[in-house]
Amino acid sequence: MSKNVLVELSEAMAAAAEQAGKSTVMVNARRRMPASGILVAADSVLTAEHVVEREDGIRVTLADGSEAPARLAGRDPGSDLALLKLEHPAAPPADAAPTPARVGQLVLVLGRPSEAGIEASLGVVSALGGPVRTGRGAMLERYIRTDTISYPGFSGGPLVDATGKVLGVNTSGLARGLPLTIPVDLAWRVAEALAKHGHVKYGYLGVRSQPVEIPAGTQKALKREQAVGLLVVGVEDDSPAATGGLMVGDILVGIAGSTVSDHDGLFRHLGGEMVGKAARIEVLRGGQVKNLDVTVGER
Amino acid sequence: MSAIAQLSLSLSDSLDGLVRLVRPSLVIVNGHRFGYGAGVVWAAEGLILTNAHVVRRRAPLVRLDDDGEFEARLVERDEEVDLALLEIDARGLPAMRIAQALPRIGEMVFTFGHPWGQRGYVSGGIVSAIPTARTRGRRGSFPVIRSDAPLAPGNSGGPLVNSAGELVGVNAMIVGGDQSISIPATLARDFVQAALAGRPAIHRQDSPMPEKVL
Repeated sequence: MSKNVLVELSEAMAAAAEQAGKSTVMVNARRRMPASGILVAADSVLTAEHVVEREDGIRVTLADGSEAPARLAGRDPGSDLALLKLEHPAAPPADAAPTPARVGQLVLVLGRPSEAGIEASLGVVSALGGPVRTGRGAMLERYIRTDTISYPGFSGGPLVDATGKVLGVNTSGLARGLPLTIPVDLAWRVAEALAKHGHVKYGYLGVRSQPVEIPAGTQKALKREQAVGLLVVGVEDDSPAATGGLMVGDILVGIAGSTVSDHDGLFRHLGGEMVGKAARIEVLRGGQVKNLDVTVGER
Repeated sequence: MSAIAQLSLSLSDSLDGLVRLVRPSLVIVNGHRFGYGAGVVWAAEGLILTNAHVVRRRAPLVRLDDDGEFEARLVERDEEVDLALLEIDARGLPAMRIAQALPRIGEMVFTFGHPWGQRGYVSGGIVSAIPTARTRGRRGSFPVIRSDAPLAPGNSGGPLVNSAGELVGVNAMIVGGDQSISIPATLARDFVQAALAGRPAIHRQDSPMPEKVL
């Protein structure tokens, strides 16, 4: 029988599952069922932070069935990612897909929740979203949603394309059990930070604030149409904000040249890359615009 | 037409061909008070395979794809593997082609059946895992096929086929709401052979592959 497109597609999917399955491992670091992880380097496994419930006696089962002891190199609860270090280098690490996921793209989710081997589910990329506050105190710049089935123990496993290249890391720990995927470039960036520092840096100002309307007259002083700003209702002692001169009653309207009108907007400008750097903060004080230079601290 | 548009059209044609190939072998099994299920034509000489849980003692009714209805005789029934072999007085039926081996994880699979009474319904997915089922029967354990192709009541006994239209499993149950379990066709083959042991050998005639569509 001559091969048809469907048979070829089917064989490609099975080959993709086999290929990506080689760098998909089982992570045994909690009391209930094991979860999954991805070899991001020969001796490093990236997994979901919420499945690492203990730091001693973490065991990783590789694709060949062998078991390897691992230690926690770092965790980032904000993005629900953790990095484990293996004592001995293992199989070749996973390849990241060269281009980001696209809506409609055919994808596989993989997991290794048991000794029985790799598991897979097929679907398409349903939506791309972000930025979104994760409810774990961090901002997820971008995320991927698919219509695949996330079987139990799939958290920490990869979302792969039809060639088995990694598009992202799956977790159900970021959105109240709803499975979503952290795009591979973001996940790999977190893995690098965890390998280097053991944690991910987040910027810190030390202000408590709430959104308030900016009166029309005051908007004139601002010389732009901005209806909402963040009223500073508290400044932590000795915080970067206090040192920089921010006061209770200021209305924060901009940071580092960008307009700020809600908490998420402020949060977005307080990424790890801002730590130790000076940021010009624009506030309204007594109806006048005032610029303050604040050195962003680390949370 | 662009190469990609051409590709998705030929994929669509292949799917259409697959459905045309398999659907004539799909039957409805009326198990009376055990409800309706699906079944497949196993051999042209009137052998029908379905789930054991669809049929009990009373002679089930089998409705073929061409609407011919037959009272079936129960040849063998094995609850451990949830399979039953029925025989009807019909010859020259379109038998399914049967896969020689277990499928691979990630392979595309398609289910045919009558979920919630919708006749001849098709769904698709991939083989998610091939776990080992433990039983209290004489086999003790055997592999089952778990797929992400959705199943519902009425799919029981229906075929799970691969992308070439070959029977890889018999759909048996749903676990945890989203895990479809099928009994491997390799196991079904052993079951049928044992059931027919002592009978004159039947010459299984696979239905010919339509050349055009696949």
